Parts: sequence; structure tokens; C-alpha cells
Amino acid sequence: MSDKFRLPSLKIEQYTLDNGLRVVLNPDTSVPVVSIAVYYDVGSRNEREGRTGFAHLFEHMMFQGSDNVKKTEHFQYVMKAGGTMNGTTSSERTNYYETLPANQLPLGLWLESDRMRSLAVTEENLDNQRNAVQEEKRLRYDNQPYGQVFDLLIEMVFKNFANAHSVIGSMEDLDASTVEDIKEFFRTYYAPNNAVLVISGAFEPQEAKKLVEKYFASIPAQPKPSEINVEEPPEISNTYQKYEDKLAPFPAFLIGWKIPPRRTPEYNALYLAGKLLYDGESSRLYQKLVKGDESVVQLFGFTDERRGPSGVAIGAIPKPEQDLSKIREAIMNEIRDLAKNGPTAEEMQKLQNQLINGTVRISFGRSQRPERFNRFDFGDDLDA
Amino acid sequence: MTSMLSEGTKTRTSKQLAEEIERLGANVSASSNADNTVISASALSLYSSDILRLMAEITLFPTFPESELKLYKQNTIENLKFQRSQPGFLAEEQTARLLYGSHPYSITSPKPADVEKITRQELIQFHEKMFVPENAIFIVVGDANRESILKEIEENFGHWTQGSFEEMYFPMPPARTETTVTIVDRPGSAQSNIVLSNPALERTNPDYFPLLVMNQILGAGASSRLFMNLREEKGYTYGAYSSLDARRLAGAFEATSEVRTPVTGDSLKEFFYELNRIRDEKVSEGELKDAKNFLSGVFPIRVETQEGLTNLIVSQQLYNLPADYLQTYRHKINEITIEDVERAAKKYITPEKLAIVVVGDAEEVLPQVNSYSDKIEVFDTEGNPVDIVNYGKESNEETADVTGKWNLIIDFQGQKLPVTLILEQKANKISGSLESMLGRGEITDGKVKGNKFFGTAQIEAQGQSLEVLLQGDLPNENEVNGTLSAQMDGMPDLPFTGKKVS
Repeated sequence: MSDKFRLPSLKIEQYTLDNGLRVVLNPDTSVPVVSIAVYYDVGSRNEREGRTGFAHLFEHMMFQGSDNVKKTEHFQYVMKAGGTMNGTTSSERTNYYETLPANQLPLGLWLESDRMRSLAVTEENLDNQRNAVQEEKRLRYDNQPYGQVFDLLIEMVFKNFANAHSVIGSMEDLDASTVEDIKEFFRTYYAPNNAVLVISGAFEPQEAKKLVEKYFASIPAQPKPSEINVEEPPEISNTYQKYEDKLAPFPAFLIGWKIPPRRTPEYNALYLAGKLLYDGESSRLYQKLVKGDESVVQLFGFTDERRGPSGVAIGAIPKPEQDLSKIREAIMNEIRDLAKNGPTAEEMQKLQNQLINGTVRISFGRSQRPERFNRFDFGDDLDA
Repeated sequence: MTSMLSEGTKTRTSKQLAEEIERLGANVSASSNADNTVISASALSLYSSDILRLMAEITLFPTFPESELKLYKQNTIENLKFQRSQPGFLAEEQTARLLYGSHPYSITSPKPADVEKITRQELIQFHEKMFVPENAIFIVVGDANRESILKEIEENFGHWTQGSFEEMYFPMPPARTETTVTIVDRPGSAQSNIVLSNPALERTNPDYFPLLVMNQILGAGASSRLFMNLREEKGYTYGAYSSLDARRLAGAFEATSEVRTPVTGDSLKEFFYELNRIRDEKVSEGELKDAKNFLSGVFPIRVETQEGLTNLIVSQQLYNLPADYLQTYRHKINEITIEDVERAAKKYITPEKLAIVVVGDAEEVLPQVNSYSDKIEVFDTEGNPVDIVNYGKESNEETADVTGKWNLIIDFQGQKLPVTLILEQKANKISGSLESMLGRGEITDGKVKGNKFFGTAQIEAQGQSLEVLLQGDLPNENEVNGTLSAQMDGMPDLPFTGKKVS
């Protein structure tokens, strides 16, 4: 059935400025909206010990002003143009994006170029954003039931510091960061040759190229940051840790595994196997544990996609009085069964349809579309 | 009832439905809010006939099987307990109760006992009464041929028979007469969740647009006044916002933030400053222009996805908004004046009649908020009232002074291990360090209550980081006994005794 469906092809043009900035253009005039995204090749994986949480704190500083855009003006420029914006940080990369009415493309490019060229950092702004980030940590992790377990799992799954620490970092390390750290980080990682600029939506490619040239071409390249080692030793045994969460109403558990890097055949297969195990109400584990055994209230799983060793996790909130080891055994049995007998024809059809549906839906929103181009981000050849 | 729609129909079991829908790569969902129930489906256009058929089956022929209902009730009761552990839920629960009184809008979530009582018969009757075509609207957005989709809707839904739907009438929400403070005591909270609210307007009220622009200036976004003040200026929070909750029959204005516990009172002060300022002073031309530009500019971004457009059409239909609502939206925004904003602020923000709700550590929060109202009530996380005299007792008790160096002897399965504990006390807060042959740990967030102290230490031992809970009791000023408990599996609590050495 699904082989009848043809995805409309995407118009994509890629090129590189002399200063090393990689540019991806995706014109699409279906809605008068344009999205701009800048990806920098820096994430928590680049942090050194004693400075956890720094890449994310830095992301906040990118909204605190540059030569021509004063503190708080970035938000104001975008919003008064009728746009939306944000930034996100992961272990792999940091990105910044704006979605704007199509005629505001120059504004978006100017804003991104000004902070790539000339971030302004003051002690006062750093203190202020450190406070905001520490409240973000309290809001999302410290004050939420089960808020800390995912970071705990990452620490157990990975042994290499670059992989094993959380993106949000520790309160102590956030406290320790200085203006000098921020400046050094900016010099090292926020250079055009360490970034990818994506423009997607209603624009004229020739015009966009001129604007990109005008705003970005004169930003000087910097020495390439040194490669970081994200290698992991092979796993030799199971580890087990109990964590008491005073805010959690009942026990939950989480199992994690280290898996090969993204875009390897092994990673792709495990991603799809994961979907069959835990994604949706027809998934094997939902049907087995929530429906069949009625032993689990909530079941979930996810893959943690990285350029280096990646992760996969399955978690459950069991009903009270349930034997956790039996649930764990049931999960392991389903995994063994899938490994031994493979997916059914119906399951393969489900995966195909879900992948096509997902691809079509993500292309609707210009605001989500730059995320789709992360296949152009780092570690991959632009011409690939 | 909504959650049970896809748990079995006349011709398919819950599992068959899930498998058929997901095999198409499609999504079907059913959800209810305070005003409406929406059943929605999305799929590749290739599968539109299949998904329409499944959607009709779920909508028209659910059977609410007894076994699925039993499982649903069990899981829902557990999920309700989970909700109670989330501070945001607790804040909204109290806010809704204060705003809506005996109106059904006051219910944010059922009580476990209500869930227990639900019977299959009730679900069948409720479905029969409410799910009637004269009470429903069907919306299609996307790659569909008009004639063929209309024909298919006719095939699947044409035989749906009319019922006897009647408009329901509810008690009026209570009128507020004064500002009240409601605290939900959630001991150990790292933040206070603050919600300030008062009744505002229903969705069809013509003041909706002036209030929307007012709200944009005051607190809707990252360049609004509340965010600028509480986050960018003061650093109290990750975010501070205001919002309108305009429903079919009533509505509310809310201002919210999550702030670190010690600045709860300071944050309230800034909230009141901003609420009064937008009432008492005219907003500037620039602020008005920016707010209008944002609201009208962001509109096409909201309708660029099928979901965004569908949601807007759903609101337009279900709230009986004018047929040209989508077309005239930007015009209505653009005609708002400074005077309109001022009038809306004065009418719909009432600082002297606010419901202030704070979810956090009541012991710490109470002294910071008691100047904001003579009417302060405290609830536990289960929603039961707690007598306010239970708090603040420790402050009358003499607080021990634990500052100094202590030599402790830990009983580790019969072995005696020496440990050095160094503590520094400021008011009732303690910090310090714990040192043993196994490693060293910093104590950062300790507390003294009476002659007891508590704290956690992060110990680096043999390359591993270990969190240790420290509890001590001082029978006199130079002696201590207590326990160390490691947050690790299979590790028993370790008792210790000790003496102050300097």
C-alpha cells in the first residue's frame, strides 16, 4: 500500500561561504512564512569537567545582546515583527531559530549575524541568566516527580564524561562559570565555520543569497575547534542503582542501553525496533504490560540520538504492589522475542506508514522544518 | 467517556482498533476540555476512507466493555496520584476551585472515589444523550476532494439519528469580594508555583480583543512586562506570564510564575506592581504597536499547519464566533486603542479581589505572603485543609547552634569508622563538609529545626558520586547522634554518635 505513495520532492540548495558558513536553502511558497535556523556545532558533549551546563547557559547569553541589539531587544525585534523564536541545546548541538512573516527575512538574518559577529557579555547579564537557568533547572528537574532519573540514567549508561553528564548541568558548576569562560566559548565555537544556516519557506533564493552574503560573509572564520573524544568502553556488566525521589508518588523504573551511533544500520534498526516495542497503543509492550498483564500504569521508551555512542531506554510506572523484577523480565522477554523472530509483516507495514506520515506532517510547518534538515548538520558532509 | 471511546466498538476490540489505526500510520485522538469534546483523526490522504470509517466507528458505536472500563478505572486512579505530585496541577486545582465555586468549571480532575463509581451503563447513557448529530460539527482540512469526501461522510455518518439534546444550565461562578491567599503545602519543594487570578470574560464577549492586546503587553510573551521584570531584570524565575482563559460561559485572567522559594514574597510584590501599573498608567504607543504587530503577524504562523487551522475553525464553530472570525481577526486587533487597553485592564484585572495560590513549602512561604491578605488558608497535596497554626512553631522553639567541628564514629556493620563533620550555621541554614577515609562531601542545603539538623552531602568515593542524607539530633550542645543514609540500593542506614571538638 505504502509504495503507492510518493512524497513530493523538496527543493534544496546548499553552498558554503568563504568563511566556512554552510548554508542550506529550501524555498517553499505555500504559506507566506519563513524560518531561519542557525546550528552551532557545540553541545554539552564539548563541556569540560567543572563547567557542566555551560553550553546551555551560553545559549541564554545569546539573547542578552550584541553590538547592535541590546539586551531583551532580540525578543522584541522578533515579536514586533509578528514572529516567534527560541533556542535549544542538546548534547550534540545548539540551535537558534526564528519563524517570521516572509517579508521579514532580512530582519532574521541581521539578528543572527549580529550575535554571531559580536556577542556582548557583561557580569550583570551573566548573573541574571545564571539565575534564570538555575530556576529552569528547579522547574524542570528538581521540583518535578521523576525529574532527575533521566540524567541519572545517562550517567549510568555512559562512562565517558563527554557523554555522561546532563545538558542542564549542576548548580555548583553554573555558579562557577565566569564572563571569561563565556568569551572563550564564543571565540571557540560560535564561528561561521562551525555553524550551519538554514532558511526554509517563502523567499526568493537569489535574494536570500545576497542577504546571506551581506550579513554573514564578513564574519571572520576561527581555528577549527579540536575534535572531542566521545568513545565509550564496551559495556561488560549490568549496573543497578536505586534512587529515592521524595517528590514521586510511587516507584518507577527505567532501563537504558548504550547503542551504536546514529545513521548506522544498527542504530536505525534499533530505532525501529524501539517503536515496535513501546510506541503507541498497538506496541508490543503496551499490549503486554498495560493491557495483558495489567501490571503497569504508564509505559514509555525513547532513543537518545547522538553522533557518537547513543542510547535507548524503556521505562514503566508499575501498579502498586507489582513485582518489579517480573515486569523487567517481561520486557526482556519481548526484546528477545523480537530479536529472535523479527517483526511481523503487519508491523513492517505500520513502520513504513508511520515514517511516511511523520515526514509529511513535519513538512507542513516551516517552524519545524529546519529541524528536519539536521541531516545537514554536523559530522556529515554537506554534499552527501 | 471520551477516553473509553477507542477501547472497543461493536465490531472491533481495543487492540484491533489500536492496530488498525497505527498500521495506517495514522493518529486518532479523543479529548475533552471544560467546554467541548473533540474526536480528531489525521492520516495520509491515501488512507482517508479507512480512517473516516474507523473514526465513525469510535464516535457512533463504542461499547465501553466492562473489562476495559475496570482497567481504565484502575489506571486512572493511579494517574490521579501522579498528578498530585506535580506542583502545576495543584496550583490549577486550587485556582479553579476559587474562581468557579460550584460551577462545573471548578473541577480540573475527578476524585478517585468518583472514578470508582462510574458504571458502564452510565457511559452508555451519557454517550447516547450527548453524542447526537445536532450537537456535533464535522471539520475536514487537507488534501481532500470536496465531492468524494462529502459522499463518504454521508455514508459513514448519514444514518446517525437525532437525539433530544438540551442546553444545560449551571450555577453562576461566585463573585469575589477580597484578595485571598491559598497555600498548598508541598514540603521539600525547590520552588513556589504562584498563580494570581480573578474572573474575567467569556469567549464571545466583545472585550475579548482589547483584553487580548492588554494581555500581550502585560505578560503573554518573552518581551512582555512580567517576563522583562521577573526574569530579565530580577532573575527570580525561568518565566513569568499572564494569560486569558476565556471559555463559553465564563473565564479568568491569570498571572503565573515558578520562583525559587526565598523570593516568593518579592515576586508577589513585582506581580502587584505590574498589575497596578497597567491599570493606573496608560501603555505607550510603542508597546501598543508592538503587541498589535505580534498578534496580527503571528496569526499566519498559527494557521500554517493543518492542526493550527483546524483548531481555529473548531474554536470559531464551538464558541459560536462570527462566520468571518478568521478573516476579520487581524482587523479587530488593529483597531484597538490605548484607551481600549486601559479600560480592559481596569475592568478585568482586580488586584483587590485576587485569588493568590502558592504551591510550595508552607513553612517557608507563609511568612512571605501573610501581608497580602487577612484570609490565608493552607491545604495539603491531597486537597484537605490544614490548620494554619501547625506552621511557624519552630520559630518559637530555640534553635540549636551546630557550628563547629565534630568528630563522628559511624557504625558500619560492626566496624567503627571515624568521620569529620564541619558545619557552619546561618540562621536555620547549614552548610559544611563531611570527610572520611572513603571520600569527602559538601553539604549545601542543610537546615536546623529545634535541636535537630538535616542535610545532604554529595560524596565522591572510589570514583563514584554518592548522595548521603545526614540527620542529627543534639541531646546537648556538645553531643550528637544520628544516621547517614546513602541513596543506593542495599545500603542500610548507618547510625553514628559524635562530639564537638572545636
